[in-house]
Amino acid sequence: MSTQIKLQSSDNVEIAVDRDVAERSILIKNMMEDLGDGIMAEAIPIPNVNEPVLRKVIEWCVQHRSDPPSSADEDTDSRKKTTDIDEWDQKFMQVDQEMLFEIILAANYLDIKPLLDVGCKTVANMIKGKSPEEIRKTFNIQNDFTPEEEDQIRRENEWAEDR
Amino acid sequence: MTITMPPPPNKDDLVATWSFLEIGVERIMRNLREGVDMGTYMGIYTAVHNFCTSQKAVGASHGGIIGTSSHRGAHLLGEDLYKNLKLYLFKHLSAILEQSKTHEDEALLSFYIREWNRYTTAAKYTNHLFRYLNRHWVKREIDEGKKDIYDVYTLHLVQWREVLFKDITEKVMAAVLKMVEKQRNGETIEQAQIKSIVDSFVSLGLDETDSTKSTLDVYRFHFEKPFLTATRTYYENESSQFVAENSVVEYMKKAETRLEEEKDRVGLYLHPDIMSPLMKNCLEVLVTGHSPLLRDEFQVLLDNDRQEDLARMYRLLNRIVDGLDPLRSRFEHHVRKCGLANVEKVAAGAEKELEPKTYVDALLEVHTQYQKLVDDAFNGESEFVRSLDNACKEFVNRNKVCKTGSTHSPELLAKYTDSLLKKSAKSVEEADLEASLGQIMTVFKYIEDKDVFQKFYSRTLAKRLVHANSASEDAETNMISKLKEACGYEYTNKLQRMFQDIQISKDLNSNYKDWQSKLLDDEDLKKAVDPHYQILGTGFWPLQPANTNFAAPAEIVKTYKRFESFYFDKHSGRKLTWLWQLCKGELKANYIKNTKIPYTLMVSTYQMAILLLFNDQEEIPYEELLAATMLNAEVFDPYLGVLVKYKVLNAIPEDAKAEPGTRYALNYNFKSKKVKVNLNIAIKSESKQEVEDTHKTIEEDRKLLMQSAIVRIMKSRKKMKHVQLVQETISQIKSRFTPKIPDIKKSIDQLIEKEYLERLEGEELGYVA
Repeated sequence: MSTQIKLQSSDNVEIAVDRDVAERSILIKNMMEDLGDGIMAEAIPIPNVNEPVLRKVIEWCVQHRSDPPSSADEDTDSRKKTTDIDEWDQKFMQVDQEMLFEIILAANYLDIKPLLDVGCKTVANMIKGKSPEEIRKTFNIQNDFTPEEEDQIRRENEWAEDR
Repeated sequence: MTITMPPPPNKDDLVATWSFLEIGVERIMRNLREGVDMGTYMGIYTAVHNFCTSQKAVGASHGGIIGTSSHRGAHLLGEDLYKNLKLYLFKHLSAILEQSKTHEDEALLSFYIREWNRYTTAAKYTNHLFRYLNRHWVKREIDEGKKDIYDVYTLHLVQWREVLFKDITEKVMAAVLKMVEKQRNGETIEQAQIKSIVDSFVSLGLDETDSTKSTLDVYRFHFEKPFLTATRTYYENESSQFVAENSVVEYMKKAETRLEEEKDRVGLYLHPDIMSPLMKNCLEVLVTGHSPLLRDEFQVLLDNDRQEDLARMYRLLNRIVDGLDPLRSRFEHHVRKCGLANVEKVAAGAEKELEPKTYVDALLEVHTQYQKLVDDAFNGESEFVRSLDNACKEFVNRNKVCKTGSTHSPELLAKYTDSLLKKSAKSVEEADLEASLGQIMTVFKYIEDKDVFQKFYSRTLAKRLVHANSASEDAETNMISKLKEACGYEYTNKLQRMFQDIQISKDLNSNYKDWQSKLLDDEDLKKAVDPHYQILGTGFWPLQPANTNFAAPAEIVKTYKRFESFYFDKHSGRKLTWLWQLCKGELKANYIKNTKIPYTLMVSTYQMAILLLFNDQEEIPYEELLAATMLNAEVFDPYLGVLVKYKVLNAIPEDAKAEPGTRYALNYNFKSKKVKVNLNIAIKSESKQEVEDTHKTIEEDRKLLMQSAIVRIMKSRKKMKHVQLVQETISQIKSRFTPKIPDIKKSIDQLIEKEYLERLEGEELGYVA
């Protein structure tokens, strides 16, 4: 049984979690290593993540607590190329857009590489196969190009068009 | 002093962010021992994260803070933080450098190690706290191939090296070397300090092309190089002084101890990488530098048989290139000298003729002594074994005893072997005999004229077999198999055939007995002589008929004629030649009345012939005895002499010489302690004659051996240059004896005469089929 530690969200909610689960975050793992076991009684402040997002992140970490650590070469090749996401993660990522972005930001901040990858792949899948107009609509982006600019970009990228 | 952290800064504000971070970094640098609380830790990490993720940083360039406002499209923020951190480290290390100037020697080492430990621990923390910078901005810079950008931890090391180490390393090394010298002088030092210095120097070896890898370049240049130089100087001084004041033996002990110490030193606190260069340098100074001196001592140690010191010298010189070569030739020379001296000693000590055993023991003594030396002191090294072999080969074949030729050694060795294998009064234990035979083989290995040994051995073996006086059959076969192993099947072929003949003769005799018992009735059998025959193949046995006539006694003639009729019936066309000089028999002396059990006289056939004449006459004159036996006088006289000497016969008048006119009569009052009286005693002149004959046959056999070798070679080659043929012949015959070139040439000429070979143009010879 793993020891429990406490995390404190930006909105001051303490959440107890198993140490190995928390250490999916390299930030927390390094800190535990640096500061030693003595400080475990205190709650670890996580100033950039609020309670709902933190709970969601912890949920992912529990699911993936015994994943093998990703190796360096996997990082560069296979994982980047594929947008496949396993079933559990797909379901996990079925949240509203705001929450999705919050999870990505938190994963980046807490240094949880695999979660960051899953988040980004989810976003990539949302873009895949959509026209610029559809993408703008999906993400609520205003078109700030002038028609001339738009024309030029299209010409420059003609080679990549899907015909 | 506790530095309290201010509230977190505005994420877009560089000035505020850096001021916040500087306080944090300073706190980790200076006050890490007091601990960092989680709030501070998370605060710093978050500040770095927030700054790097802010949409745009407010450029500023005041208050000593480096800022940049250049902005690209996908620009990752962080350069400002990196540059400020670098500047901070520069300032921090400059201060340490300043402080270091107040320290010297061991205090400086303590200072360096303390600062290094503090600094690297802080670097590890800061590296974690700035991980977000590492992950994004630094990674991007390195991916883009920017030089001089490192992850935060490496940046710490690079700064240490550039700002502090460069200026302080010489002083630090001076202190290290001073400590090592103290230790070499026997003082106790704090070794752990040097170990820490080594570790620090090694850590600073960063591969400029790949920061994840490290190299030993910095360590090698700044530590190893001066360390080796100091070591050389130290030992150069010490060894030359020591040698001047002490004996070479003492010096060798000292050098060995020193080498061991230096080896241990590596394990105690140096980097393992230094082992090979350190040993090389020490060996150069301590061994190579003094090797002529050591080698000069070699002879002295040999003369005094100082095994332990010789072993030490071997170990030392074995560790340098070509260290032992000069010793090997000296060793060979020395062993040869000892061998010669030992032989000379026993030769001088021997009265008249040298005992074979004494001679062989003298050879073995030297071999055993130096074999042991080679095994114990020289590690049984094959090169020294070869030197020993060369030396032994020399003194075994060419010494005082073998003045006239190398054939004397094999002769004596064969005689010694005979004395061991012959049944004798003092029985030898089986194991001792085995050991002695092994020793004989040791000497045999060095014998050049192996054919001479073969000759003498077969003669003595023949006698042992004919007279059935081998000590043990096992030992005989053992010896033959040893010889076979050493020289091959051909060498022992005849010897083995001799054994076979003896075996066949046994069967033959029992068959004959059966045959005879059917032929004769009981009465005849009682009167008949109980014979035993040995039928020996002429080609295998080195035996010749005696060069004298002989009339066998009538009883014997009757007996062997009967056997001949049996034998020729079985093997028609064979010829039997009786070697009377090797035959013997037993006579029962019923005429002597002063004993209950009649004496049995063990006699040679010649003596038997003489004695049996007295069955018919009481008194017989010399000339009649001689005429009746038909023996030559020079053969006859010694045999008769033995009978007179043992008082079986009395000369009349008493003490009369064996010459015509002297009469002989049986001594009816013959007395002996034993019931069996052996009168069949080897006659001296006879054995001398044999030796000469043997040597003569050797010369003949050698000629034949050379000629057959030459014919064999020419038969396969057809044509050959004269010189080549001589060489080839030598190499073929070498295993038996060392032929002289003039003898080979003579053999070639003889073969040309006999028209086996012919002369062709240009020094060439051809084979005539």
